[in-house]
Amino acid sequence: MAEKEATVYIVDMGKSMGERHHGRSVTDLEWAMQYVWDRITSTVANGRKTATLAVVGLRTDETHNELDEEANYHNISVLSDLGQVLMPDIRRLREIIKPSRTNRGDAISSIVIAMQMIITYCKKLKYKRKIVLVTNGTGSMSNEGLKSIVSKLQEENIELVIIGADFDDPEYGVKEEDKDSAKAGNEALLRVLAEDCDGVYGTLEQAVSELDIPRIKVTKSMPSFKGHLQLGNSEEYDTAIRIPVARYFRTYVAKPPSASSFVLRSGTEAGQESAAGSQAPGEGDTLTTVRMSRTYQINDPNAPGGKTDVERDDLAKGYEYGRTAVAIEQTDENVTNLETFAGMEIIGFIQSDKYDRYLHMSNTNVIIAERANDAASLALSSLIHALYELESFAVARLVAKENKPPMLILLAPSIEPDYECLLEVQLPYAEDVRSYRFPPLDKIITVSGKVVTEHRNLPSDSLRDAVSDYVDSMELETTNDEGEPTNELPIDESFSPLLHRLESAVRYRAVHPNDPVLDPSERLTQFARPSEELVRKSKSYLERLISTADIKKVPPKTKGRKRQRETEKPLSGLDVDALLSLEPKRTKISSENAIPEFKQTLSRADSINAIHDAVKQMAEIIETQIKHSLGDANYDRVVEGLGTMREELVDYEEPFSYNDVLRTLKGKLLAEVLGGDRRELWWLIRRNRLGLIDKSVVESSGVSEAEAQEFLAAN
Amino acid sequence: MASENYTREEENFEDEELDETSFKSVKDAVLFAIDISNSMLEPRVSDDSKKCVKESPASAALKCAYHLMQQRIISNPHDMIGVLLYGTQSSKFYDEDEESRGDLSYPHCYLYTDLDVPSAQEVKELRSLAEKDEEALEILKPSSEPVSMANVLFCANQVFTSKAANFLSRRLFVVTDNDNPHADNKALRSAATVRARDLYDLGVNIELFPISRPDHEFDTSKFYDDIIYKTSPSDGDAPTYLKPDTYESTAKGDGLSLLNSLLSSINSRSAPRRSLFSNVPLELGPDFKISVNGYLLLKKQEPARNCFVWQGGETPQIAKGVTTLMADDTAHTVEKEDIRKAYKFGGEQVSFTTEEQQALRHFGDPVIRIIGFKPLSALPFWANIKHPSFIYPSEEDYVGSTRVFSALQQKLLEAEKMALVWFIPRKNASPVLAAMIAGAEKLDENGVQKTPPGMWIIPIPFADDVRENPEATLNKAPDTLIDSMREVIQQLQLPKAVYDPSKYPNPSLQWHYRILQALALEEDMPETAEDKTIPKYRQINKRAGEYVLAWAEELKAQSAKMFGGIAATKSTLVKRGAKEENAESHPSKRVKVEGDGTDADSVVKQASEKGTVSKLTVAVLKEFLNAHGRATAGKKSDLVERVEQYFEEKF
Repeated sequence: MAEKEATVYIVDMGKSMGERHHGRSVTDLEWAMQYVWDRITSTVANGRKTATLAVVGLRTDETHNELDEEANYHNISVLSDLGQVLMPDIRRLREIIKPSRTNRGDAISSIVIAMQMIITYCKKLKYKRKIVLVTNGTGSMSNEGLKSIVSKLQEENIELVIIGADFDDPEYGVKEEDKDSAKAGNEALLRVLAEDCDGVYGTLEQAVSELDIPRIKVTKSMPSFKGHLQLGNSEEYDTAIRIPVARYFRTYVAKPPSASSFVLRSGTEAGQESAAGSQAPGEGDTLTTVRMSRTYQINDPNAPGGKTDVERDDLAKGYEYGRTAVAIEQTDENVTNLETFAGMEIIGFIQSDKYDRYLHMSNTNVIIAERANDAASLALSSLIHALYELESFAVARLVAKENKPPMLILLAPSIEPDYECLLEVQLPYAEDVRSYRFPPLDKIITVSGKVVTEHRNLPSDSLRDAVSDYVDSMELETTNDEGEPTNELPIDESFSPLLHRLESAVRYRAVHPNDPVLDPSERLTQFARPSEELVRKSKSYLERLISTADIKKVPPKTKGRKRQRETEKPLSGLDVDALLSLEPKRTKISSENAIPEFKQTLSRADSINAIHDAVKQMAEIIETQIKHSLGDANYDRVVEGLGTMREELVDYEEPFSYNDVLRTLKGKLLAEVLGGDRRELWWLIRRNRLGLIDKSVVESSGVSEAEAQEFLAAN
Repeated sequence: MASENYTREEENFEDEELDETSFKSVKDAVLFAIDISNSMLEPRVSDDSKKCVKESPASAALKCAYHLMQQRIISNPHDMIGVLLYGTQSSKFYDEDEESRGDLSYPHCYLYTDLDVPSAQEVKELRSLAEKDEEALEILKPSSEPVSMANVLFCANQVFTSKAANFLSRRLFVVTDNDNPHADNKALRSAATVRARDLYDLGVNIELFPISRPDHEFDTSKFYDDIIYKTSPSDGDAPTYLKPDTYESTAKGDGLSLLNSLLSSINSRSAPRRSLFSNVPLELGPDFKISVNGYLLLKKQEPARNCFVWQGGETPQIAKGVTTLMADDTAHTVEKEDIRKAYKFGGEQVSFTTEEQQALRHFGDPVIRIIGFKPLSALPFWANIKHPSFIYPSEEDYVGSTRVFSALQQKLLEAEKMALVWFIPRKNASPVLAAMIAGAEKLDENGVQKTPPGMWIIPIPFADDVRENPEATLNKAPDTLIDSMREVIQQLQLPKAVYDPSKYPNPSLQWHYRILQALALEEDMPETAEDKTIPKYRQINKRAGEYVLAWAEELKAQSAKMFGGIAATKSTLVKRGAKEENAESHPSKRVKVEGDGTDADSVVKQASEKGTVSKLTVAVLKEFLNAHGRATAGKKSDLVERVEQYFEEKF
């Protein structure tokens, strides 16, 4: 459980906060609120009831606080009391946080009020207490009773953070020229206050600039396995090793926030909704959640449409074995589960240099000895060091809980000055390996089995050199905190782009409902391309590589056709086309061998008329298939036939023929003259994008993209 | 249930490529065409008299088909497989056989298993054919007159046309030892080449599994080079792997080695080559791109999810679930287009339009962009989050890609370097940082490629994905203790000191389908599962036993020296003393501490003998169960029951 929090934000709303300084495009208040809103929305985003916060306005026109009897505490208003902040609070605060018409109001007093609020709210309970003051440091401040404030803050264990616009900060490099002497005095006063109670004192420029540093959620891991690391079988042999261990995540992918599905509440028109959005009285009110409801159908030749609904209660659980359905009775629900017992058992050892790193199949875990068990940690340490010295890994079988499927894991030693553990990752099983074969990359083997080492697909020596030099010139340099070069990947500085972009977009939208979504922050995409410095350093090598490699981009037009031409010969190179033309039977496209014969007829066609004739024959065959189709029996064939026709006619740049066929076909389908209701087929044609060939595909087509869209959409 | 379904779909979406330009359905159909002739039926006798297995090329081919059928039920449950025998005396094609009236369309072609997702019955039939049951002998009788190859090919054509219409991948696996079927008949020969061309135009890929006869090497140039085409029609860009892999091994050797080499050859082509992403630019530097295709060579295979079965009819039927979306307030059906996505925030929903959602997820077009190189050693063991992707060059978008890719791959192999890449595999996929490493080609003992040459893209964690190490006590082992552990490790190396995945089938996956098969065929349930992942206890004891004892002695001595009587195990976190944990590490020492009442194991054992298990405390029961890998959840009565069950099984 995360700690309870109580944070009071004190926002200086004085008149001077409404001014713009030093050429900034935003007022001091707007600037300050960038920081404050970010902090507030981060707290709201975690959705915890116990993460409470309050907002206090300083130098407000009115006075509204517990101590408002005393003049010292005038012009300070509690805008929202400590508690969980929700969307309506955000909307309300957004409206009321505006510069006031006064510069009266004491910042020190506001800290006292904030302190009082925390003391009243938290009593003696365990809370993480914090006061954040954001101000431009103008106005008058009294140093009266500063000591007792400091001691009270410390006594109550309240952290004080003071952030100021244009506050001098030599460390960050901010120094305001011609600073007003009153402001300088205030700054000094606030600095002393913050430092005396071990708080934070900083300049707003730094705070705002660091807003885009993603904050990483620290998740406390729970052990996913607690049991014994074993070598041998202790139930049967006296020579088995059993070390009590626990297993924790080392890596685990942090998921981006997930969205839920909503629709507009009934009776809300689309237009109304956007109007509501601009006034922002709770867009959430106009949405209603989407529920999923599941029904079950079986094939039933006697039912209209060939399908009947069945009740969920009439169904048994089961599995598919091939196309056979196997029902499993409720009583032996777990019959297909392998019976296993929990344990981590070493199978054997391998040499680390003979392991291929790409066999890692999963996230990684750490294995440590059972807590507070010296003997176990000593035993595990001997295994870790022995593996390390022998440059070996252990292969083990892990069952994390009784009756869970066994996993094969690899255990590697990890030794740091003050930490030792085994690292663990899952290995692939035989079934997890798909063997696709690819030709060698360093030689070409010809059809006749000859090995060729010089070929246009093989690099020449000069290309090898160019690549080698370029790779060497592109060495990524990483440094540690002291600026010394390290041999490490920049994992610590890389942040999940989607996760942080979505989170910040949600937070931003909550406060600025009418703004467009923002581009990702630079920090999220810093690894999207090589650093400028590296690019500059390797530029000459890259230029040489480009000229040596002689890469040619294939223009999009010629992609399909040309390549196919080359390959339409069997391995022997026999001219089958010549044989085909001798075949006497092949003057008319037969329905059972339609696709090959259609393609072959086209490739032989010596006139436009011959193409048109082939298309006509093919169209007739397709229509017959539809007419004779029992239900959807022939639909896949029809789609394949149409698809082939479309593909070929695109290649032959004959869009008109196809478009004519399709128009006629659509008419017939929708008029139900091809054996009744064929809407499902039309839907299939749409889904497979077999619509009209438009201008974007073949220039000579008379159909625009919009027309093609419309043709497909209409039914 | 519903939400689980939802995430599953999303995962699938991430794995297989959604090719929006193709109208074909992403499925694979394999039809075996097995030559049945006297020489194919001749058993190959082993020189080794101890091996009495007589395997003929035909039976080896049938066994391979049976094996592949079983395997694909697990790995590709929606793909089709069929078996066509040719050269047989009898003929069968759908409704036609010898008894039908009229001429046979395809004489001496016997469609034994129709091309389809196999049913349990078909699995059984194929098995009985492979094991040569009585009936099988009748079918596997060669014809006296030669079969026309043109007819065989057209028969296959018709099977594909009608049963696997619009499949993206259709493959004909021809297994034969006859390299020149129509040596003396030019007309038949050219008819066959024309029919082969039809198959090519239909998008069927012919894959040949040639078997050399003991006295004759199979020569593809005699006939099959006219039948087989260079590129696969379904994946025009993929370079075919031309190196023959069964030549040498099939001529010599006995039937068993023939079966093994055929199996490894067929296995290596069992999965249709489906790309994960295609023609993604690999950007080596600004304005310098080549194109690559991505493949999923390693992917965790899970049992298919359970489904609902309707048993009201003659045969059980899978009920198809249909999901409808409804608005919560009105219960009206909702169209997909009307759905808006919103995030929970501050007790309400913060919503985005569909376009905004898309914009937020967009980080640029698909790319693999190199942002620098590092030594391979910079990639830590722990920096991993999921399985890798494999990439191989493609000439489709950039001519010359292959040579540059090849040069890069060789450089990275030699220099032992990796590239750090920014990786967006598909449109709107979220970007990851990945390590790109080179992989060398690896062959198995039959010379069949086991691992292709190429490069691997290994996604690495972001800072968000790295967890802090849990607190742990550190007691560094003294050198003497490490040395004795080294002795243990050195005794127990796996063969060749490597991990070979092919040696370890997934026991729970195999068991799942083994049970289903038994249920579907109403056969007896198997008693025990074959589980290759269980360590070889006997060998471990034999080989390393004495070294373990030595290590245990040393551990005892060292921990006495280091912790004495004040071991940290006395802390309240652990209820039992150091002695017992010491014993835990080595059961043989348990004897010595037995009887002092602190050892859960002996306490429970004694209680079990006396029948007083139910009097033990929950803590003791839990400790005992955990130590024996049993679940510790539930009420006390459950725990007692489990402990009693444990002793029943043992004794």
